Amino acid sequence: MENSNEILTELQEIAPILSMDGVSRIPYTIPSGYFEDFSAILMSRIHLETAGIPDPVIAGMLNRNEPTELSPLEEISGISPLLAGIQKKNPYQVPAGYFEALKTKIPSSAVSSSIDASENIPSKRVALDSRLSASDSIHIQQGSIASQVKPVFFLSRAMKYAVAACLVGLLGITIYNMNNRYVTDPISGLTTVSEQDMANFLDAGDFHWTPVTTSETASVDFSDNDIHALFSNVSDAELEQYHPVLPAEKGSVN
Amino acid sequence: MAELTTDTELLALFREPATKEKAFTVIVKKYQERLYWHIRRMLVDHDDSNDVLQNVFIRVWNALGGFREDAQLYTWLYRIATNECLTFIEQQKKKAAVSLNEMESGLSNKIRADKDFNSNKLEWKLQLAIQQLPEKQRVVFMLRYYDEMPYEEMSRVLETSAGALKASYHHAAKKIEDFILNH
Repeated sequence: MENSNEILTELQEIAPILSMDGVSRIPYTIPSGYFEDFSAILMSRIHLETAGIPDPVIAGMLNRNEPTELSPLEEISGISPLLAGIQKKNPYQVPAGYFEALKTKIPSSAVSSSIDASENIPSKRVALDSRLSASDSIHIQQGSIASQVKPVFFLSRAMKYAVAACLVGLLGITIYNMNNRYVTDPISGLTTVSEQDMANFLDAGDFHWTPVTTSETASVDFSDNDIHALFSNVSDAELEQYHPVLPAEKGSVN
Repeated sequence: MAELTTDTELLALFREPATKEKAFTVIVKKYQERLYWHIRRMLVDHDDSNDVLQNVFIRVWNALGGFREDAQLYTWLYRIATNECLTFIEQQKKKAAVSLNEMESGLSNKIRADKDFNSNKLEWKLQLAIQQLPEKQRVVFMLRYYDEMPYEEMSRVLETSAGALKASYHHAAKKIEDFILNH
């Protein structure tokens, strides 16, 4: 390394502030023990990455040119001697009698309800051809377990769903019909139409109508003078011709 | 073995299968801190730095057998570490689809997010200032300022002439000073 003084002198010439005490201190922190553990972590990673690749020394010792597949123990020994040394003890627990109960649970789901419980059927060998060898085949003592087998009513479950679906459908149709009846009622339908829309409709249909906007009911308010003025130009004969049925009420309005 | 063995002896031990792993562990212990801080100053984040440092030593493990001793081991290690850092930054940029400026502001944000960050302290301002530099200048400045690496060695690490590195360091130091004075 170059003399620190030379570097400091160079820095003082370029940027004096950077040569001040404490500036070059690195403020970052690292997890405690990081450097102590680093080489061990690194080596385990290297072992992991090179696992499966035969070491030339080991290959020479074995006097084999072709790489051979390592047994699980050899493989784990190469990756982690610590793991290879640990006993493969299962730390998990199962409920008491779990495996005994399992023996009866598996056949009960596999055997169909058509089996006659009273029939004395010899034991049946079921081989899971590709996964299990003949020695691993499962013996199901059907005769002995048949009494424990409960028939499974697949239809009853299907029926439950069907009935539920029907009820939901009926309810839906009833609600639809009720709503539909109110909607088709013309009077109730008109309540939702605005007056302006009605006026537009009447105009389009050559009707003459002016919406009453100031009050809800229309009223005609004529005084006697108004009536007199209206009928002043109409003769009594014309009036009698228009309304001849009321002789008692005959009289001049003029 | 660690302090008493020279790099040349360690390399010889590494080439022997029986002592390969032990020699490598010594090399790791000898250089891990220097390389870590070189990477950390570039990447700011500890987890990123740890990943890159491991990658550096895995590369070293794979390539050390063929290392020609015409350069010093530490120069070669710095070169691998620097390249790994730059590759990592490049990958991060591609992954996040951000520009260089955005990446630099991201690193500045990481500095500000540090639990010990204090904007009034000069050493923290310096870290922020370093992140404003272009990548090459940043590396040159850090190798010279923190690692006190001679220009001749640095030219082997960065494959750049000593004169160009001198100029680069000069520019970097001036920029950093300006940043500190104006922030």
